[in-house]
Amino acid sequence: MSSTTITRREKLVGKRIRRREDPRMITGTATYVDDIKLPNMLYAAFVRSPHAAANIRSIDISKAAALPGVVAVYVGKDTKDVGGVVCGVDLPGLRKPHHNVIAIDRVYLVGHSVAVVVATDRYVAADGADLIEVDYEVLEAVADPEKAIAAGAPAVHPEWPDNIAFRFEQKGGDADAAFAEADVVCKQRMISQRMVANPMETRGCVASWHSADRALTIYTSTQIPHLARTILAGMLGLEENRLRLIAPEVGGGFGCKLNVYAEEAVVSFAAMKLGRPVKWIETRRENFLTTIQGRGHVDYWEIAAKRDGTILGVKVKIIQDLGAYHQLLTPAIPTLSVLMMPGLYNTRNIQAEIVGVFTNCVPTDAVRGAGRPEATYGIERMVDILAAELKMEPADIRFKNFVAADQFPFATATGLNYDSGDYANTFHKALDMIGYKKLREEQAAARKQGRLVGIGISTYGEICAMGPSPAVAAGGWESATVKVEPSGKVTILTGISPHGQGEETTFAQIAADELGVPIDDILVLHGDTSIVQYGIGTFGSRGTAVGGTALYLALQDIKDKVLKWGAMLLDAADPSTVRFEGGQCIDDATGKTIFFQTIAGAAYRAMKIPAHSEPGLVATRFWEPGNFTYPFGAHIVHSEIDPETGQVEIKRYVMVDDIGNILNPMLVDGQLHGGASWGLGQALWEHAIYDDNGQLVTGEFMDYALARARNMPWIESAHTCTPSPVNPLGVKGVGEAGTIGSTPAMVNSVVDALSPLGVRHVDMPLTPEKLWQLISTRRTEAK
Amino acid sequence: MKIAGAAQSPFAIERTYELMQDPAVLARAIPGCQSLSRTGEAEYKLQLKVILASLSGAFEGQVRLLDPLPPTSFRMVVEGSGKIGFVKGDGVLTLTAIDTGTEIAYSGEAQIGGNIASVGQRMVDTTARLLIKRFFKKLAAEGKKAGEGDAQDDELPESPAAEDENV
Repeated sequence: MSSTTITRREKLVGKRIRRREDPRMITGTATYVDDIKLPNMLYAAFVRSPHAAANIRSIDISKAAALPGVVAVYVGKDTKDVGGVVCGVDLPGLRKPHHNVIAIDRVYLVGHSVAVVVATDRYVAADGADLIEVDYEVLEAVADPEKAIAAGAPAVHPEWPDNIAFRFEQKGGDADAAFAEADVVCKQRMISQRMVANPMETRGCVASWHSADRALTIYTSTQIPHLARTILAGMLGLEENRLRLIAPEVGGGFGCKLNVYAEEAVVSFAAMKLGRPVKWIETRRENFLTTIQGRGHVDYWEIAAKRDGTILGVKVKIIQDLGAYHQLLTPAIPTLSVLMMPGLYNTRNIQAEIVGVFTNCVPTDAVRGAGRPEATYGIERMVDILAAELKMEPADIRFKNFVAADQFPFATATGLNYDSGDYANTFHKALDMIGYKKLREEQAAARKQGRLVGIGISTYGEICAMGPSPAVAAGGWESATVKVEPSGKVTILTGISPHGQGEETTFAQIAADELGVPIDDILVLHGDTSIVQYGIGTFGSRGTAVGGTALYLALQDIKDKVLKWGAMLLDAADPSTVRFEGGQCIDDATGKTIFFQTIAGAAYRAMKIPAHSEPGLVATRFWEPGNFTYPFGAHIVHSEIDPETGQVEIKRYVMVDDIGNILNPMLVDGQLHGGASWGLGQALWEHAIYDDNGQLVTGEFMDYALARARNMPWIESAHTCTPSPVNPLGVKGVGEAGTIGSTPAMVNSVVDALSPLGVRHVDMPLTPEKLWQLISTRRTEAK
Repeated sequence: MKIAGAAQSPFAIERTYELMQDPAVLARAIPGCQSLSRTGEAEYKLQLKVILASLSGAFEGQVRLLDPLPPTSFRMVVEGSGKIGFVKGDGVLTLTAIDTGTEIAYSGEAQIGGNIASVGQRMVDTTARLLIKRFFKKLAAEGKKAGEGDAQDDELPESPAAEDENV
């Protein structure tokens, strides 16, 4: 106990702190699933159907089983006791096909596994898989959702010949009346094409079984370690507390690892049968064929407005390509599109219908943005189409219809409650940054020269921080434990599962500020169900907003305890004169201080314990958010199309995003830039294409045009800040914002460039070939 | 996927037709063919080695020659499958006498699946053309050899030009 001068520490929250995760990654010392090597470990390889629909007449495993080094071969009927793949969604009348972990008598997508070979090394396993002979009776398949619901289409599941998994309707206000009184109604069919999530690390898992302890350990590349443990324990018939699931370093998820897949159960099943650890690492080709994809919408939009541009109502019919069966959240994704369909606009009347359709393709599910990009793309395209119809300036029509700053919290026609915002202010900032008025003048001049110059706007909103538990499958709360060690070092256990978002850094920033300790004294642990209390995981832009809040609250509990101990240790006559600041307890009455670290030691030594307290310095909080958060922003793209090649050049890209308070601007930049590259990828290049027979024809990076660094424009980024009132950190979420805002801005820019040729809409991706053909056709017609 | 095109043979129409029905000639002329044996009246079993883009693998297949109208046309149905996927083709070949010999027009439907569909799609059309071109080139060579009275070599070429067919 000493009397010292307090040096005011610099706050870390809000600073560009470099990611503490990076040293292990850039030195190649991070441990991904494939880096895990256990003694006596075996390797699994799956035999997969080349047909999108077929009956399995017979499977001959004899040659594979006889191959030296092959330890076991399992086919579907061997795994009958393993539970089917879990879909966590309940919608009225939802049809859920039972998806066995290995197909038994029928396959319904290319890549459907029909057998697994377990061998002493992965090459022998692959050779063994090649020796398995499957006799298929090939059936007709359907890969297009609209063809699948047409009369006479082949049934993906014979028990449901119409291929419809569910229908869902939602109404707000009276859309029919709004459309009846409208001066103008615009309609447009739009496709949000299937996209592959493409994490740098594919899926993979290692399972290890200790039969004497009935203890199974699974290492798997997942975004949801605790939920995966619960689900896998159920599938395997194992007590949940006997299963330890570890998500080691996860090399990207983008939603595709917000899931539990058949392979994780099969590998565990094999490990339990054989009593030896089993590893499986997904190949890139398997990833294209068997890991969930995103989007897959055919949408019919309608917008009704007054002649002055006031939007009266919006309708949409969504044909959702679900794929052949449901993964964890498959049917729920288009319902998020419905929630998001009003965008930032003050539209009281909405009507939406979803038709969820089975196709002989890999399931769709949550991929970065998950339902909101499709909706934002739709409403932002429709607003541009409406503006063109009314000959209004696209910026003006947006200002006219924004929810006003004084309307928050704003109840939308879709049942949401937008937390905070000032849309016009953010949009003004973006328009100023790009010099909108002058740019339009330059565009007019360029058009006189016959150049195809476009300016595209997207003002987007999004639903983040998922979310209130009643609205999220499996719950939407999050947990955190703060353990102050006897030395005063701080260990944080978080229920989220960061895999690139950087919470080992941002959470340490929060804790360093709250406790006044050096950031290097803080360790953030996650992703191990035996170390961390139950949590939900990382998805839906929730890590910081929900998980960070749980941490913040646990830190407040720690501070309360520290104050009690501090007051006792300082012999304060009146505890109310003691405060905790800058890593010390200070008694203002006496000027005496005591360091946090000293208090921690005393709390564990416990020579004397404060009244109404206990030894140790640990706190755990589970936090349930009262609402989603609603980030928003404005993206503007200035582009020019080369009519000779159809190539789009992005001349300027301006984004102003309001994501509430910013904890680390460097990480926020990274998320927004990465998000924009996704959105631009969808707008311009990416497309998972299935042919009429259900064959994926874009199954590797030579054919699937993933956006490359060299394709990216220089991004001019700025922020406005309306803190969220939903959580004490005032944060909203940023993981998906860039994705959602960028796609419509890019497409609007290209359509704007083509509008002198009479083009009103072009479906994505806007490849040079597509644009060149369109330009050539239009110019020929004009002659 | 539709496949259509035409090729020429230096032989008269009857001779061309005959060559195209001769299993020994076909075995030599089909690119990547490692073995071909007759299993029925106009039915053959064959083994192929295929290298396409980043994939290579053995195919087992069946060729059926149907609707013969010598010497002007026949239908060919090909089905093959292997570890890297499957191929199905069904087409009609029409022969016409021309000054320099015979023109063979072909048109039909081809379907591919499995890995070759997902990684080789962009190459399939050009590859198919290339393989067909090679087939007729080899057919011409075989016909010439037979015409010159060379002893029929029952062995297949030592290396069925695996590298040669590396497309």
